[in-house]
Amino acid sequence: MSRSDQSTPPKWPLKFLRFFVKEEYLEEIEGDLEEEFRDNLDRYSVRKASWLYTWEVLKLFRPRLIKNWNGRNRLNIYDMFKHTMLLAFRNFKRHKSSFLINLIGLSTGLACTILIYLWINDELKVDKFHAKDAQLFQVMQNLPLSDGIKTIEATPGLLAQTLAEEFPEVEEAVVAAHPMEKRGSNGIISVEDTYLKGNERYVSKNYFNAFSYHLVEGNKDQVLSDKYAVLLSDDLALKLFGSTENIIGKTIEWKRGRLSGVYTVSGVFEKPPSYSTTKFDLLFSYELFFGEYKRLHHWGNSDPATYVILKKGTDIAQFNEKIKDIRRSKYLSSGDGKYLGQIGTLFLQKYSERYLWNTYKDGKVAGGRVEYLRLFSIIAFFILLIACINFMNLSTAKASRRLKEIGVKKVIGASRTTLIRQYLGESISMAILSLSASLLLVSLLLPTFNEITGKQLSLHLDGQLILSIVTIGFFTGIVAGSYPALYLSGFKPATVLKGKINTSTGEVWARKGLVVFQFMVSIILIISVLVVYQQITFINAKNLGYNKDNIISFAKEGKLEEGLETFLSALKKMPGVVAASSFGHDLIGDHGGISGLEWEGKDSEERIRFGNLEVDFGLMEMFGFEMKAGRMFSREFGTEESTIIFNEAAIDAMGLEAPLGKTVKFWGKERQIIGIAKNFHFESLYEPVAPCFFQCYPNLDNILVKIKAGMEKESIERIRQFYQEYNQGLPFEYKFLDEDYQALYASERRVAVLSRYFAGMAILISCLGLFGLAAFTAERRLKEIGIRKILGSSVWGIIYLLSEDFTKMVIAAIAIALPLSYFLSKNWLNNFAYRIDLQWWFFAGAGLTALLIAWLTIGIQTFKVARVNPVQCLRDE
Amino acid sequence: MKKTKLGEFEELVLLTVIVLQEDAYGVMIKQELEKRLKQRLSVGSIQSALKRMEEKGFLTSQFGEATPKRGGKRKRIYSATGYAHKVLTEIKEVRAGLWASMPRLSNDLGTI
Repeated sequence: MSRSDQSTPPKWPLKFLRFFVKEEYLEEIEGDLEEEFRDNLDRYSVRKASWLYTWEVLKLFRPRLIKNWNGRNRLNIYDMFKHTMLLAFRNFKRHKSSFLINLIGLSTGLACTILIYLWINDELKVDKFHAKDAQLFQVMQNLPLSDGIKTIEATPGLLAQTLAEEFPEVEEAVVAAHPMEKRGSNGIISVEDTYLKGNERYVSKNYFNAFSYHLVEGNKDQVLSDKYAVLLSDDLALKLFGSTENIIGKTIEWKRGRLSGVYTVSGVFEKPPSYSTTKFDLLFSYELFFGEYKRLHHWGNSDPATYVILKKGTDIAQFNEKIKDIRRSKYLSSGDGKYLGQIGTLFLQKYSERYLWNTYKDGKVAGGRVEYLRLFSIIAFFILLIACINFMNLSTAKASRRLKEIGVKKVIGASRTTLIRQYLGESISMAILSLSASLLLVSLLLPTFNEITGKQLSLHLDGQLILSIVTIGFFTGIVAGSYPALYLSGFKPATVLKGKINTSTGEVWARKGLVVFQFMVSIILIISVLVVYQQITFINAKNLGYNKDNIISFAKEGKLEEGLETFLSALKKMPGVVAASSFGHDLIGDHGGISGLEWEGKDSEERIRFGNLEVDFGLMEMFGFEMKAGRMFSREFGTEESTIIFNEAAIDAMGLEAPLGKTVKFWGKERQIIGIAKNFHFESLYEPVAPCFFQCYPNLDNILVKIKAGMEKESIERIRQFYQEYNQGLPFEYKFLDEDYQALYASERRVAVLSRYFAGMAILISCLGLFGLAAFTAERRLKEIGIRKILGSSVWGIIYLLSEDFTKMVIAAIAIALPLSYFLSKNWLNNFAYRIDLQWWFFAGAGLTALLIAWLTIGIQTFKVARVNPVQCLRDE
Repeated sequence: MKKTKLGEFEELVLLTVIVLQEDAYGVMIKQELEKRLKQRLSVGSIQSALKRMEEKGFLTSQFGEATPKRGGKRKRIYSATGYAHKVLTEIKEVRAGLWASMPRLSNDLGTI
């Protein structure tokens, strides 16, 4: 019957049968079933016949007839392993160039990944070493300003005590204060004739209950019980006393403005490790600090940092709700509540998270350094991906070399799984070799990498690192090798032994797609590098509105505290010194700020925060600020204690017309506006220019000296000697202002340098891939080239022909990459208030570079091949 | 001689193999037995029995011809060994002996 001739048994039951039945029974049983099926078709419907067939298959699933899994394979495994390894090595030796290309590509990719992994690992460890880390939180404050919410660390001085008393969830509340005066300089500690500088914190008694700083000497519950106690770091103790033992009870002299005096050593602590963001050399009691600075007693002021240890299991959201308005309610109940509008709300952030998550938007945590971690992980991933893609591309392209091997193996009886295992084995061996090479590379690159990132990373092989590295290597091997393994093992012996490989269009497109993708990533990296580099240069060169060149600054210490004026006038007379003055702040973001400023016509609801810059006579001239109107401070007008200079942004914010001569009021005092300074940048270029004002005070904490260009060395020497006449035994520490400024953008510069290197690596790997592919394609078309040459084509004609295909791929890559990178760069640049414009030549240049590099790579290969003697390649015809 | 050398079903299959001579392959054996027993059998049970008996030495087999009906796959033709014949005869003799020794029953109408 025609019906039984045409139908075949149902597919899936058949597949199942072939899966479980013993090999030697398969033909017979399959044949029997098929014969029965055909017989049934004569008597029943197709459906019933199929159903009967399926039923029979199921009933054949008996122990006697099922394949024996274990016995067979176990016998072979060791041999197969040896065989796989042998073949892998032979393959490497025979095709050295592709082996090298794969090796270089994979090891570079792996090296990048490992470096970035080390870096990320290090970053993640910061501040996590405290024993109670899971319960340790810092209290942050949100200040409601007119232009948005500003999040700060400073909290009221009484907050810690209040939290401990009124909230049962709080196990410990710790307060830690920075020195109030002369931020940025160190206090001087001395024992008999040894003078040293150190920076200090003023902490509450339970400090060591919250933070795990190890005490070498002293009991942590008692060390801060005395108001005049001091704890020293082991470094400091060694330098002062020569040992860390038996120094409890000894006294030291401390010079630090209002807190100078004699203190008793009550303990020695281990210097905070490099993983700690908080670093200090001495610890004093907070009681001391609190007692001295009365402003801390008021809820209207905020200064120290407050930390809490919460009981386990506390609901953070709920707790945040509870403490949110604590400051406001305390402020109201303690005074007239006049400035309530400026009092901020409180919330908790986990202390160890503050390092990575340090940007805030609208009073909430919104990223920060963690974005760099993400960025570099993505970069590492993409570089490794490109390397794996190379491997995949090359392996599948060179498949034609292994046709005979696959065909013969399959005919002899290798199953597809065996072949897959063999090829995976090859790629994993390749991965392991590359891993070793990459470890070598990493150890070579580590010093430079450490320099750039400012860390001390090492290939310290502990268990976790080894495990992670091996896992990365293994996965690379599997990922890179999976596609080729599947592809190669899928060949049909019949077609393959005839010498044909059927490159379906699907495969060709896949290969092209991979090349396009590689180049796309490389181009995006090139453009990013360009953009970042331009932006950094822009920031460096931008006219800040003042001149910071050749100015050094150092702290006013020791005997200079009295008689600064004489010191300054003596300095000014020195050759090489152009100007000398003092400054209470700096121009990179450390400045005071107030929001309680009142002016004529102020809307009572308005809350504007003004930057407060305290300057000495002559400082504004030193910096070369330009005045829009009015005058600068000058001794001719006396002490200038009732005058004030605003910047343009402040005047605009206040909405004052004809401001000169008008008065403003703050801190209970009235001041007259005598000048308006043109806008200049006193914070980072991430921010637009904020309103600020200048007050004139003589005798401020930072001494600034402007030196004549070209005479820096001698002048500094002279100043050093002069300083040491005043302050015997004290080291003269100074820094150049523009160094400080550079430091502001340290992370950006790091990103710039690192991205340069990574872009280079990405391009290298992509080129390697292209190189291999081009070589292979050229080899394949050898006969075609021979014939063309005979027919009269020139060498250039051949090169053009061979490159055409690749050129199209690169152009496609460019077309995709350009819009993407435009979008990405725009996004990044938006972070800066002052940014460059994206020039068209960034993109054109990157595209062109990619194209040129591609042509060069292809060219080398095709040139070699195009020069071949036709006779040699056509000999076999 | 152990009584458990050959199961009931196996004995039937073995006899069918001898009866079918050169046509003794899976499908044929199944169909013949189904006809005689008036019962549906599964390929699995037949195959199980055949393989077991081959293991025990009652049957030998070899590949026969392939037909298009079988999708080009060959049949396996089974044949009984001398040992099988011997065992079958033994069983038959035991049975016959027992039948002969049965007491005369009133409903019996001359069966031997």
